Amino acid sequence: MDIIVCVKRVPDTSEADVVITGKDIKKDDLPFEINEWDNYAVEEAVQLKEKFGGTITVISVGDEDANEVIRRGLAMGADEGVRIYDPAIEGSDGVTIAKILAAAIKNMKYDLILTGAQAGDLGEGIVPVALAEMLGIPHATLVTGLEIQDGKAKVKRELEGGLMEVLEIDLPAVIGIQTGINEPRYVSIMGIRKASKKEIKLLGLGDIGLTPEDVGEAGSLTVLEELSVPPVTKVAEIIEGDPAEAASKLAEILKEQGVL
Amino acid sequence: MSEIFVLAEHRNGELRDVTFEMLSGARNLADKMGATVTAVLLGSGVNEMAEKLKSYANKVLVVDDPKLENFNAEIYQKVLSKLIKDHKPVVTLIGHTAFGMDLAPALAVELGLPLATDCIDLDAVDGRLVVTRQIYSGKVNAKVALKGDQFIATVRSGAFSIEEGALNGEIVTESVTIEDVPYRRFLGYEEAEVGEVDITQADYIVSVGRAIKDQENIPLVQELADVLGGVLACSRPVVDKNWLPKDRQVGSSGKIVKPKLYLAIGISGAFQHVAGMKDSGLIVAINKDPKAPIFNVADYGIVDDLFKVVPVLKEKIKEIKG
Amino acid sequence: MDFELTEEQKDIAKAAREFAEGEFDKDYAMECDQEHKFPRELVRKAGELGFIGVHYPEEYGGAGLGALENALIVEEMCRVDSTLGLCIALPDFGCEIIKWFGTEEQKKKYLPKVCSGEWISAGIFTEPDHGSDITELSTTAVKDGDEWVINGTKTFITNGEIADFGVILVQTDPDAKPKYRGMSTFIVEKDCWEAADVGSKMGIRATSTAELSFDNARVPEENLVGELNRGFYQVLEFFDESRIEIAAQALGTAEAAFDRTMEYIKQRELHGKKLAEFQITRHKIADMATKIEAAKLLTYKAAWNFDNGRRIDPVLTSMAKWFAARTAVEVADEAIQLHGGYGYITEYEVERIYRDAKITEIYEGTREVQKNTIASGLIGKL
Ligand SMILES: Cc1cc2nc3c(=O)[nH]c(=O)nc-3n(C[C@H](O)[C@H](O)[C@H](O)COP(=O)(O)OP(=O)(O)OC[C@H]3O[C@@H](n4cnc5c(N)ncnc54)[C@H](O)[C@@H]3O)c2cc1C
Ligand SMILES: Cc1cc2nc3c(=O)[nH]c(=O)nc-3n(C[C@H](O)[C@H](O)[C@H](O)COP(=O)(O)OP(=O)(O)OC[C@H]3O[C@@H](n4cnc5c(N)ncnc54)[C@H](O)[C@@H]3O)c2cc1C
Ligand SMILES: Cc1cc2nc3c(=O)[nH]c(=O)nc-3n(C[C@H](O)[C@H](O)[C@H](O)COP(=O)(O)OP(=O)(O)OC[C@H]3O[C@@H](n4cnc5c(N)ncnc54)[C@H](O)[C@@H]3O)c2cc1C
Repeated sequence: MDIIVCVKRVPDTSEADVVITGKDIKKDDLPFEINEWDNYAVEEAVQLKEKFGGTITVISVGDEDANEVIRRGLAMGADEGVRIYDPAIEGSDGVTIAKILAAAIKNMKYDLILTGAQAGDLGEGIVPVALAEMLGIPHATLVTGLEIQDGKAKVKRELEGGLMEVLEIDLPAVIGIQTGINEPRYVSIMGIRKASKKEIKLLGLGDIGLTPEDVGEAGSLTVLEELSVPPVTKVAEIIEGDPAEAASKLAEILKEQGVL
Repeated sequence: MSEIFVLAEHRNGELRDVTFEMLSGARNLADKMGATVTAVLLGSGVNEMAEKLKSYANKVLVVDDPKLENFNAEIYQKVLSKLIKDHKPVVTLIGHTAFGMDLAPALAVELGLPLATDCIDLDAVDGRLVVTRQIYSGKVNAKVALKGDQFIATVRSGAFSIEEGALNGEIVTESVTIEDVPYRRFLGYEEAEVGEVDITQADYIVSVGRAIKDQENIPLVQELADVLGGVLACSRPVVDKNWLPKDRQVGSSGKIVKPKLYLAIGISGAFQHVAGMKDSGLIVAINKDPKAPIFNVADYGIVDDLFKVVPVLKEKIKEIKG
Repeated sequence: MDFELTEEQKDIAKAAREFAEGEFDKDYAMECDQEHKFPRELVRKAGELGFIGVHYPEEYGGAGLGALENALIVEEMCRVDSTLGLCIALPDFGCEIIKWFGTEEQKKKYLPKVCSGEWISAGIFTEPDHGSDITELSTTAVKDGDEWVINGTKTFITNGEIADFGVILVQTDPDAKPKYRGMSTFIVEKDCWEAADVGSKMGIRATSTAELSFDNARVPEENLVGELNRGFYQVLEFFDESRIEIAAQALGTAEAAFDRTMEYIKQRELHGKKLAEFQITRHKIADMATKIEAAKLLTYKAAWNFDNGRRIDPVLTSMAKWFAARTAVEVADEAIQLHGGYGYITEYEVERIYRDAKITEIYEGTREVQKNTIASGLIGKL
């Protein structure tokens, strides 16, 4: 089975002070990593390969830095890496990223395409479902269970409230992976060694039959206008002091509030 | 006059809150755009639901067909795209839910319309839709403008509060021929397993996030829950990593809880989590990042390392409780 | 001149960090420290993922990488936790001698099992009366048929109680003049010695440090490593590589102290201000960071020099070793100072980091010994 996995490199802002600079945030000091959802997608692909054989190709749209997450995918067990880039891509919205991926993928051989259900930085959740539509193949996103049998995928989609929707879809298909579907492995030194011997294929817009007008702001139907710090609707009263003091004060407050 | 479509979301015969929230938000937007609000209800045997929608919309557009009984993104897409082509609504709103996320992007691509997802606010500027969405773990708001004259947006649950409707929309039924989609078959729903603890019934909840770092640290917070006489719950990553069972997860894809006390420890406050606990009585957060969004829903906060605060807190509570 | 690590080197550092962040646990580290417990399972896991012995050739289970890649792994692991990180750095201790001087059979037999985390080795040099000065030894090996019979006592041997084998330096020609021209190295397996823990120690308490006594221990001729009577020179060359690893351990330990401190000063409030706002704090941070950066440059350069087949340069290696070690001790000291009373309490990690830091100034050649090496390299014979 030949599997394509779409991966994105994202900054980790969970513990950072985010500083807005124009239409972006300051990213120099932020740690970058593979999008958490994509990490699960790569692991799922590797597990499928271990079971059924075949190849895995990791693909990312982004500048040179994106090689890092492609190499990570290769180190986890993927066979080939592809990066698509052109400066004109800056400013592309989610649908346009899907368009770029579709343009590249339609010339490739695949039985299954895995993506993350969403990217942790912008959280649009557009790419998997848009990509499937563009390629004219079935899809399911927010998938927490995947079984392949006889050219079909039995998937569990996670709905609200812990409910699962169980579906069967024909392959090839795009599956948007939700976190928790598996336990991603650590990258091993052996994996890194293998990955670094592999050439990551670089595709420009011309290679995939697109022009600069098709991508970026020009090719996108949505435009980012401005970024701002969310207005504070309510702020917690912060209990000051060292950990012991703060904890004691909190215990007192809980008592006053009648919780204890 | 132009219309705003709001796709009604329902499951097992019940309209979901996000439907009414979107209808409430859509009324404001309709005023700004000089448009009317149409609730679009796709389903099978949906009269009762249609009646419930009347007061929230200027029109309730119903397609009633056995093939629409269960949500199926591909079938819904076919029906919806036909309706949008026929009626040319200026805006189509869909919930940013498991249901909407599986549908909206394909619909937008098929129709060639701009799509903004997970919106928390909707505005009209010169007849164009301008939305606000949150990025970078809720630390930044992005204003995104949509090009053209027809737009699709998905709306975050809880983004708008439900305002009782005083309209009396007419129910209009249309029939659409629905092709089969043999390549996607609905097999059924599966309920999450029920464990021995029902967190929705607890008065005191100690809830722990990714910051707990290791299964071996779970006893630390379990003990705190024990001295409080409460139960231990968690955010999603804790379940993803198998440190606690799924039935302990609070949030949109977990349980909705309303305890007297919700103590969030090392939880950043992603909206999917907040959706499950925001109506708790007293909310207290312990997080070492002063800018963590959880502090925007909490009543009290401690900005520090949980591993230093929790042991002392446990002892103090023990003391007070005697 | 290019100060950038290669992509592969960055990936390696990141993978090591991910592993350490995922697997190391503060409470477990504290437990290992308090109870003198070696994290055996963790070491096995690290070995399976290839984090042990990347600087051995691939045909012997390593990754075919160099001292720099090994240094990066050790640095990252110690940065996440100085106690557990070190335990992953040291299981191959002494094996570089087999790598450089051993026979094909020796390399095949011992190196793969060490790299995979299954076996643990020891570098057995120090004696009760010969530490800094190993130009003379009391432990002897005497030939008997096609076996060698070893007698004597070695002390302060890391991994002593848990090692499966070790490389020992002994006197084979007692009449040699100077004495160090009569020393050889042998591979000894664990049934050759009796190990006795040296007792409670200040830091790196998760590692075993033992006295090993050899009482007519017999080893076959094929366990001789390299040429007879060249052992002393082999060990000196070994130090040229292994001291880079200790510099990396020191560097990571310094960074561990620094990271904890940065976090603390941004949180701690006194006199209505954050600790990080006081100018004296800020200057301390500047000093600490500068020293760390200098230690890093020296360590990486020494490693790079070693890997690029330049003339092995004991001067550079010794500079990296003493400077990184001193930096670890100074930065850890300042870290405690900035933590105030909390810094003195075990729970606040910097106390343990401080204790772990000090050894880097002692083993594999004390600071003074490093400076002797540098000075004699620079000044030469007068
Ligand atoms: C108005 C607007 C302007 C933007 N401007 C810029 C800009 O100037 N520069 C810039 O760098 N970005 C820009 N972006 C963001 C960028 O284009 C996003 O990557 C894109 O919108 C996808 O959204 P997401 O990351 O939320 O993906 P989602 O749809 O949430 O991602 C889901 C999955 O899709 C796949 N995926 C997503 N992105 C990629 C990718 N790049 N390569 C491979 N697979 C991928 C992954 O598998 C991922 O898990 C902009 C976005 C918007 C909306
Ligand atoms: C469709 C969908 C459904 C989802 N459903 C849910 C859901 O139902 N429930 C849910 O919770 N999530 C859900 N999520 C995931 C959600 O988006 C977040 O990823 C998740 O809530 C983050 O969990 P967290 O706060 O524990 O982790 P993080 O966001 O990583 O936050 C950890 C926090 O701990 C703090 N911290 C770190 N170390 C310490 C320390 N030593 N002391 C104190 N504080 C510390 C950090 O500052 C940070 O704020 C869903 C996502 C999707 C896409
Ligand atoms: C925890 C631990 C683990 C160890 N692990 C190992 C191991 O695995 N294998 C092994 O073989 N050894 C090991 N050692 C031993 C270590 O290498 C020696 O302790 C070290 O070389 C110093 O030797 P010594 O203790 O005999 O001190 P001494 O040599 O007695 O030194 C005492 C003092 O004199 C100074 N000094 C010595 N010579 C000179 C000089 N010429 N000029 C100026 N000052 C001088 C020293 O710097 C020191 O300050 C370990 C030691 C410890 C504490």
